[in-house]
Amino acid sequence: MTLFDLVIRSMRKNIKHYYLYFFALIFSVVLYFVFATLQHDPAVVKQSGGTMGTAFKVAGILLLFIAGTFVVYANAIFLKRRSREIGLYQLIGLTKGAVARLLILENTLLSAGAMAIGIGAGMIVSRLFLLLLMKLVGFDGFIELTFSKTAVLQTILVFIAIILLTSLQMLVAVRRTTLLGLFNAEKQGEHPKKPKAVRSAFLAILGIGLIAFGYWLSGRMMNALLFINMLVVLATTITGTYLLFRVTISWLFYQVRKRKQGHLGLNGSLSIATLMHRMKGNANSLTIITVLSAMTLAMLAGSYSLYYSTGKETRSIYPHDFMFGGYGDAQEEKETKQFTDELDRQGISYLYTPIEVLNLDGRFFEEETITSWLSEMFSANIVSEKQLQQAGIDIEIPDARTAYFYDASVYWLMKTTEVPFSVKLTNPKNELDVSITKVKEGNILNPPFAGTQLVVDDAFYQEIKEQFINQEETHRVGTFFSVMILNKDQQAEASEIYHDFTKENDRLNFDYYGQYESTMQYTGLLIFIAGFLGLVFLISTGSILYFKQMTEADQEKRSYATLRQLGFTVQDIMRGIVRKQVFVFGVPLVIGLLHSIFAIKAASFLFMSDITLPASIAMAIYVLIYLVFALLTVGYYRKTVKAAL
Amino acid sequence: MEQNTVLHAQNVRKSFGARGNVQEVLRGIDLRVLEGEFVGIMGPSGAGKTTLLNVLATIDRTTEGSILIGDADISKMKDRELSAFRRDKLGFIFQDYNLLDTLTVKENILLPVSLGKMHKRVAEDHFKSIADILGIKELANKYPHEISGGQKQRTSAARALINKPSLVFADEPTGALDSKSASSLLGTLEDVNKQRGVTIMMVTHDPVASSYCSRVVFLKDGKIYSELYRGDKTRQAFFQEILKVQGVLGGDSVDTL
Repeated sequence: MTLFDLVIRSMRKNIKHYYLYFFALIFSVVLYFVFATLQHDPAVVKQSGGTMGTAFKVAGILLLFIAGTFVVYANAIFLKRRSREIGLYQLIGLTKGAVARLLILENTLLSAGAMAIGIGAGMIVSRLFLLLLMKLVGFDGFIELTFSKTAVLQTILVFIAIILLTSLQMLVAVRRTTLLGLFNAEKQGEHPKKPKAVRSAFLAILGIGLIAFGYWLSGRMMNALLFINMLVVLATTITGTYLLFRVTISWLFYQVRKRKQGHLGLNGSLSIATLMHRMKGNANSLTIITVLSAMTLAMLAGSYSLYYSTGKETRSIYPHDFMFGGYGDAQEEKETKQFTDELDRQGISYLYTPIEVLNLDGRFFEEETITSWLSEMFSANIVSEKQLQQAGIDIEIPDARTAYFYDASVYWLMKTTEVPFSVKLTNPKNELDVSITKVKEGNILNPPFAGTQLVVDDAFYQEIKEQFINQEETHRVGTFFSVMILNKDQQAEASEIYHDFTKENDRLNFDYYGQYESTMQYTGLLIFIAGFLGLVFLISTGSILYFKQMTEADQEKRSYATLRQLGFTVQDIMRGIVRKQVFVFGVPLVIGLLHSIFAIKAASFLFMSDITLPASIAMAIYVLIYLVFALLTVGYYRKTVKAAL
Repeated sequence: MEQNTVLHAQNVRKSFGARGNVQEVLRGIDLRVLEGEFVGIMGPSGAGKTTLLNVLATIDRTTEGSILIGDADISKMKDRELSAFRRDKLGFIFQDYNLLDTLTVKENILLPVSLGKMHKRVAEDHFKSIADILGIKELANKYPHEISGGQKQRTSAARALINKPSLVFADEPTGALDSKSASSLLGTLEDVNKQRGVTIMMVTHDPVASSYCSRVVFLKDGKIYSELYRGDKTRQAFFQEILKVQGVLGGDSVDTL
């Protein structure tokens, strides 16, 4: 029998162990291939230009990293599972070199098969993903997917590298081990030990304490030490999580167990006892999985919220569809007329409103109330509420002689400022204290004119105007021309006219719809990449937990046989196992969710809108995927227990 | 004195293999075990010792024949009923102990009563008295990897006795023990059998082990070949008798495993 025959035989025999690894490999190939295809797809390249390309490249490296780690990890688990077989080969006289060759040949065949199937499947599903991506970025033309040789080549190269890596891993594994060690590898796993009372109690509580402190600090990061705070939060939560898995859980279990005084019962024997037994070995991987899944979730929820609220946020920054204008005796009125004439010609109905704005110097003088990040002086645009109403903007009217503060660019800093506070309006001759009663979200004028806007009622506006504006100060009075499109379906058309128009006049574009579209594109891509990576990551970690549980189930087979001989039914045993699985999947899940909730909360200043819904959706998907894996492992356990007797 | 029958097997047959390649391992065994007996089952390899034990212990099913344990006909029971029956009425001692590594000695011993309706205090009393007899009281909080083979087997025996079974099955209980631990364990089993009246059925290949029994049944090729009663003989004399039968039975092909 040649080595090749042996390989084929052993693969056939091991197929039930392999198929999961095989699927995991195929899965990695498919996803990577899809990614590579999209990266090189002409439609994507054309639609996106430079930014998308970079984003794809960075994401591609991340994906590669995840897939590589996953494959190496899975391979390590499978090597351990097969240690007895490897030992047997050596026992019957194969040299270590021959065993390594056997394994590497097997691995290469398997990977090559997975690569072929993966690329084939990838070609089919990549179209689906392309459609999804295009839909997300708001492109609705005809999409043709072209076969990308570069993508195929790139995938093959990457996976050849991974094969080399896993082969090296096998070589090292075979070289390092002794025959005796190989036979016992499956039985390894530390013996249960009684924790040292004081030290464990201290570390257990320290773990919880560190996490709590990290959570607490994460809500108070916004000060001059922001960067250091972030590092501290990361360090404490990660260390805390590790201690939690390594010490706290075992310690808690030990307390419960001690209290039972030997009357642990079947459920406890199958859950608490085995979990305690394995916690030490699993602490590393559980910590990594928990922390990374928290990051993934935060990233996913964040990008989803950006995407989800694009319309709302763009609208809050660009309250007018189009705006022209300037200070002093600018000529924008004529320009606006050209534009509106064009709209008339195209039969687009609109609302045209001139808005008068006073530009004064403002100063925060209650310094302790204003965050130290803002400069003391600012340029204040005073707007009357009445004109804004006329322009069709739904606005809350401030009380007499008070103002509302609008400035989208600093809203995230200002929103926690206590109101009312006062600002001083000045020009060389006059000054006036104005009480700000509310800091409002977004702008009330379009950029680039916006700056800091103070909305006052009409009477107060006239009063300020009279006080500050005289003959020399006319350059401080500006007029802006708001154009609102009445029929939402014509917005795209109007935006196109506007873009042609600004091109002709050599001006920059600042319209709502154009901004909305490009933001959609950007956030659509972001959510696509985040979702894609998140999915890959989730499925990888889920599979790793699954593989680990499979190995555990096989190792516990003898215990199940004993239990069944003692007269416990499969159902009795499964009850205990389900408890354990709830724990194995539930704890990383719950702690990951908790971490991500606090991470999202801490980062929520970046998002203007409420992100509860998108975060909940991302978390629900996360829970669902974990649930599927948990059910799969329970199924595997059931099979093992049934076959045990 | 009239003794109750604990186990009554009639014409028990067991075949393995699919059609065309059927191997009959048990070829019609009739066996009656009375309350308080300590029955040893001996025979060369392939005689069907372990198969018989599995079938009697409800772990495996017969192909033919009926088995009564107490009043219950176990050959007609469903799997779920069999499980409950095993848990409530039978005790098991295995060659390689089959203790759960993750549990302490005490937790292992209390495992069989964990699903039953036994009150915790009652279970605790049982545990104390049994641990006392088997001399493993001090080991209660140790894990299996911390104790010796003999101690492990005592733990296993204690686990078999905790639910006051009507019948204890022991499959080569001394197979993995050194001779000193083996004789000490057998002595204890004999004590348990005599003092507590526990019925024990033990499969063994070791004539020394079976000399502790009150009766030894010899199997050959799936049938009962002969039986020996110890009666009032000394253990030494009984041992010599067993050796004689074994010599006739298997020649030099005595089971070595």
